[in-house]
Amino acid sequence: MADFVPPPLWPEIGLEPVPSPEDGLMAACRPFVAAPAHNQALGFPGELVEDWETRAVARLGELLAGNRALRVYLDACVGCGACADKCHFFLGTGDANNMPVARQNLLRAVYCRHFTPAGRLLGPLAGAGRLDRARLDSWYGYFHQCSQCRRCSVFCPMGIDTAELSMAAREIMNSIGLGQKYCNEIIGKVYAIGNNLGLPPPALADTLEGLEEDVRDESGHDVRFPLDVRGAEVLLVTPSADFFAEPHVDGLIGYAKVFHQAGLSWTLSSYASEAANFGLFIGSVEQMRKIALRIRAAALDLGVKRIVFGECGHAWRVAHAFLEELAGPFDFLDPRYPRPQHIAEITADLIRTGGIRLDPDANAGMVVTLHDSCNVARASRMGDEPGGQFTLPREIVRAAVPRFVEMHPDTTHDRTFCCGGGGGLLTDDLIELRIKGARPRMQALKQVVEQDGVTHLCALCAICKSQFTKVLPAYGFDREMMVSLHQLVGQAIRLGTSSL
Amino acid sequence: MAAELAMAAILVVAASALLVGLTLRIVLYARTPAPLPLATTPAPTGRVGAALRVGREIVLFPSLWGADKPLWLAAMLFHLGLALVLARHLRYVIEIPPAWVVALQGPGQLGGILMMAGLVLLGLRRTLIRRVRKISRPTDYGWLLLLLLIGGSGLAMTYRWHTDIIGLKAFLAGLWRLDLVPLPGDPALIAHMVLAAALIALLPVSKLLHGFALVFSPSRASPDSTRLGERRHG
Amino acid sequence: MAYEIDGKVIEHDEEGYLTDIAQWSEPLGGVIATKEGLAMTPEHWEVVNFLREYYAEYQIAPAIRVLTKALTKRMGAEKASNKYLYDLFPYGPAKQACKIAGLPKPTGCV
Repeated sequence: MADFVPPPLWPEIGLEPVPSPEDGLMAACRPFVAAPAHNQALGFPGELVEDWETRAVARLGELLAGNRALRVYLDACVGCGACADKCHFFLGTGDANNMPVARQNLLRAVYCRHFTPAGRLLGPLAGAGRLDRARLDSWYGYFHQCSQCRRCSVFCPMGIDTAELSMAAREIMNSIGLGQKYCNEIIGKVYAIGNNLGLPPPALADTLEGLEEDVRDESGHDVRFPLDVRGAEVLLVTPSADFFAEPHVDGLIGYAKVFHQAGLSWTLSSYASEAANFGLFIGSVEQMRKIALRIRAAALDLGVKRIVFGECGHAWRVAHAFLEELAGPFDFLDPRYPRPQHIAEITADLIRTGGIRLDPDANAGMVVTLHDSCNVARASRMGDEPGGQFTLPREIVRAAVPRFVEMHPDTTHDRTFCCGGGGGLLTDDLIELRIKGARPRMQALKQVVEQDGVTHLCALCAICKSQFTKVLPAYGFDREMMVSLHQLVGQAIRLGTSSL
Repeated sequence: MAAELAMAAILVVAASALLVGLTLRIVLYARTPAPLPLATTPAPTGRVGAALRVGREIVLFPSLWGADKPLWLAAMLFHLGLALVLARHLRYVIEIPPAWVVALQGPGQLGGILMMAGLVLLGLRRTLIRRVRKISRPTDYGWLLLLLLIGGSGLAMTYRWHTDIIGLKAFLAGLWRLDLVPLPGDPALIAHMVLAAALIALLPVSKLLHGFALVFSPSRASPDSTRLGERRHG
Repeated sequence: MAYEIDGKVIEHDEEGYLTDIAQWSEPLGGVIATKEGLAMTPEHWEVVNFLREYYAEYQIAPAIRVLTKALTKRMGAEKASNKYLYDLFPYGPAKQACKIAGLPKPTGCV
């Protein structure tokens, strides 16, 4: 199983030139189709239904009636091309259909054909077209080459967000029995077991026990990793990758040390042992709600006063922007913290108020740059001020390491590039796409590695971390460059009172 | 008076199509639920801030400025020029134009040139840049052509084949009183009016609607307000 | 989609993971490894065997950290690294070793 080997990065300093678009370069790239059992577990038809074209158009009509964004975005595009060179997948693949407007037009054609007078009258002249088998195939291929990162929406003069269209297209495909294996299998595991990984409660308990042992051996402090503790102050909801993968686990250790040092009682839940909500990726409000309700149930069951989210990009989008609507009201929480908080908000606040102290010398030799994760950057906030999602993680990194370096300004903050694995694409069957999609980020990383001696790339999203761990070596970087935000905290935090 | 009757019918139909079409579309947008807040962040936390954000987008195109500066320039030339031209045209429909409309006659002429320059740049961009050419539909060229013809016929009347403005004004004033007054028969004027009427009539069912759609665009128009204790429902 | 061993056909999914994990045997593990381009050594088997033991108890593959810790306890400190595991299983210790061990693929953001 050899990985795709990308051409070397551009030797110059700066971002790579924009490729000239070509048709069909990535036409063969498509993720595995979900098996009937995976689809049925979510209430979707097992296989492509007989009258799929009719039912897909009908589903589009329903979505149009229920989602203003979809309707406005399908109407508003003037085809100016401002978005065309903004998508990491276009920049990395050169496939014409990976220009956001071209991707949108795959859906817009069907909308025009069935829902606009111009499309009905003029057909292809107005860009309208039927959802025939060829178009359905291109939907499946290219709407699974969008990581729903919203970078295009930042630049669109109408604010059109391709993510909304790709979510709608995936929802329509699911409704006719054409689901994607990776997302649907995972959502099924959340319902059956409680998390994306399929980690059963006894395994989770064993993993946490092991971590307590490790931290005790390494630090001499009795840092706890509580599970299902009733009456705890804080319920921590974190991606299950934090229990499993590297460097995610090191982030989890960081959260635990922060809670420990701040004297906050906290607990994980074996029922809501997952922050991620892949319902977002497949554009299904219903699935998103079902997954979100698990968090509500766990919070009520354990009687916690606050809900805190660990490092997961899209989970934080759902938590920050959607959770109240999906699973609210959260009126049982402490009125001072009526909304979910991000662990970075807690840590940054503790650093400011002196509740914890970080010693950058503990991370001596590290020169760190920060990858702003797309859903955190463009779909959420931290703290009270807009832009806190950028300033708070930076405050934490600066406090934890001797030197922090920014990457090219066109690749950070709300202009950040997706890691190439978001939006339900973090699967081995899309590895070539993932490697190509990471290219713009890798180019920006190369610049700071060469110019500023950056040694580590920090992220606060489980997908980003797994994706980069996988693709860094393809571009000649060491996979161990990848660090979790709270890994830096965990390594730098001074535990106990004696050391203060 | 057959020609006058036809022109009157065209104008009335176009104006009605615009009013009815636009109203229907706006009502449809406003009534379609937006259950989830979808602001592209960082976003203002309040409704006033979000409205200002949309206002800025409509007037200054800041997102486009960040995306592509030559495109911003072309778009700004066209839209600014169009705004000046429309303001200038008010004197044809208002019996006694207010002072500001009179004052805009000079800039309005300049506006015509700016608008045409913008259109030419947009057209060149669409045909010369491969990326943009690849995403262009036939109708995209169609709208450009239509606007160029309207602008061209207008400029022709301003600089070359001057038309009988007094006669035109009398004709339009007559329409308000449901009275058919003779219309000057210049081909440039007839073409200008018919094409403009077509544009107006088709606006609500075409991409030219984009300015109105922007007002409802959730990524720009919704506030990032979920922390202010505000429950949102469709 | 199937492996063949001793004339028997053992089905696997698109990615080579066994459809029925009960059909695994050590020789089959060897066949899968060969398909993956790996020459199995005692060090490889050590990892595969630990994965299977852990799976038998917890119905999931162990975290990388648990794996390195176990290997260290059993086999010594030089095995206490991620890098050691990636050297053995270049496609990622969790996924590739699970495949050879006949276990389901770990899913999610990993």
